[in-house]
Amino acid sequence: MADTILDVEGLSKNFGSKKVLQNVSFSVDRGHIVGLVGPNGAGKSTIMKAILGLFSYPSGKISIDGRPVSQTSHQELEKVGALIEYPGIYPFLSGLQHLELFSNDGVTRDQIMDIVDKMKMGSYVKRRAKTYSLGMKQKLGIALALVNHPELVILDEPMNGLDPQANKDLRTIILELAKQGTTFLISSHILSELEKLIDDLVVIDKGQIVYRGDTAALESGETKLMVLKTADDEKAKQLLSQNGYQIVKADDVRIVEKDDTRMADVIKLLSNNDIEIEDVSHVHNDLETSLLALLQNDKVKES
Amino acid sequence: MVTLVRQEIFKLIHKKSTWAASVVLLVLMTGIAVMSHNQPNTFNPQAMYQESFMAVPWIYLFMIAASASIIAMEFQYGTIKELLYRKYYRGQIIISKWITMVLYSVYFFVLALAYSFILKLIFFSGTFQLDETYGAKHTVFAQTVYYSLTQFVALWLILSLVLLLANLFKSSAVAITIGIVGYFALSVVASILAILIKKWTWLKWNPLNMMNYPSQYISPSLKSMTLLSTNELLIGSLVYTAIFLVITYFVFKRRNV
Repeated sequence: MADTILDVEGLSKNFGSKKVLQNVSFSVDRGHIVGLVGPNGAGKSTIMKAILGLFSYPSGKISIDGRPVSQTSHQELEKVGALIEYPGIYPFLSGLQHLELFSNDGVTRDQIMDIVDKMKMGSYVKRRAKTYSLGMKQKLGIALALVNHPELVILDEPMNGLDPQANKDLRTIILELAKQGTTFLISSHILSELEKLIDDLVVIDKGQIVYRGDTAALESGETKLMVLKTADDEKAKQLLSQNGYQIVKADDVRIVEKDDTRMADVIKLLSNNDIEIEDVSHVHNDLETSLLALLQNDKVKES
Repeated sequence: MVTLVRQEIFKLIHKKSTWAASVVLLVLMTGIAVMSHNQPNTFNPQAMYQESFMAVPWIYLFMIAASASIIAMEFQYGTIKELLYRKYYRGQIIISKWITMVLYSVYFFVLALAYSFILKLIFFSGTFQLDETYGAKHTVFAQTVYYSLTQFVALWLILSLVLLLANLFKSSAVAITIGIVGYFALSVVASILAILIKKWTWLKWNPLNMMNYPSQYISPSLKSMTLLSTNELLIGSLVYTAIFLVITYFVFKRRNV
């Protein structure tokens, strides 16, 4: 338990008769960057809000550092920084005043300016937030989540409204902080944004967890395929499977590529049997594709 | 808790409207003082002084707006989440807002009293004396302070309701409207209320009737209309304030954000 910072167990939540979360369980290891991924409306923000004690839940247990967190027990949230949905910003305060307002007593001016520099907010941090663009507000929201040097940082769609440069800056900051031991739980509905960051992945769909584990496992769970188009696909499939190749059920010919699968052998085998090959391609599933396949095939029913 | 109150005050003093309200109050008080100086028969200087040169209705207005916005703005700006997902308990958050509003209302009353004193020195140094009673029970100065205290009690009856409404509706517009209407409509509905109270005496315990506390303190004859003693009005006001605040506390604690 020592290396688990966040533990969610059997969390359920209804909004009226709609089940928003059903028996959600996962844990987050200290120092890891965990992606919480799922389609819009899957329940990502709801999970994060529950962790932050923003509302009550009928069943389930959430603990941070082994101690329970709920709507009525907030003590452990001292270790948490967060940005949920959209950044809450007072239009009449400047960015710097926001950071001063929400920083704990121990945080020095230098430490605040350090975050301002890292987030490249220097040029506008003293202006009233009323004048900020969406991206500026988003950066301020992230800075607010980080200002108290929390042990656990919860970011909901942090890349929203950020330009590519800011996106890259944010990744650098997150990776740097993670190296120093900060734990991150980051949600997104776009996995490719997270792919470069995360160690572990929690995939949620319609309020239920459909995958939980590291990203490598999800990728390797998917197979590399050699896809062939031939003049006679049926005959080709038959021939290939007789010769020990593993064929995936599909309209075209799909061979599971193993370490010893060589294209030359396949071509030779087919041409020796007078099957004309029209096209050959490889399909390598990236994380995004694996995820989409996962979401498509999961048997989660909406209730 | 001290930290939370400090944060609320930080927000309050960085709002332009906070300072604008103070300036407007002083300008209006000065205007009344000048009018009273020029037309002492229409605007009796001593009476004007005792009413802090009409500062009270403005203080009501500003405080109703400030109380509605200290709650509603957090929902409007989405900052309520940032307030709540910290180590503090929800009860502490709402109480820190109350304390801030109490301090703000005390500030207004002290400002009005102090500025009335300055206006008295400038315009009416020889017109009346603060340490004279002029036949009343208390000196002019004491009378003014007591009247402000009764107004403070009535103000908080309204503010507790405004704070509750802002919490329920998450909108400052609704809370401000009902608060202001509640206060200013009192004079309009007073006569209707008096008739109703005569008919069904238990109606005398309604919160609107409690708002007569400052007026009855000044003119005890109002008792024939309110059917309650001045002290009963005071206790009634405090009890209603407490009830509204307690409801607000539980509404705020249980809200899903």
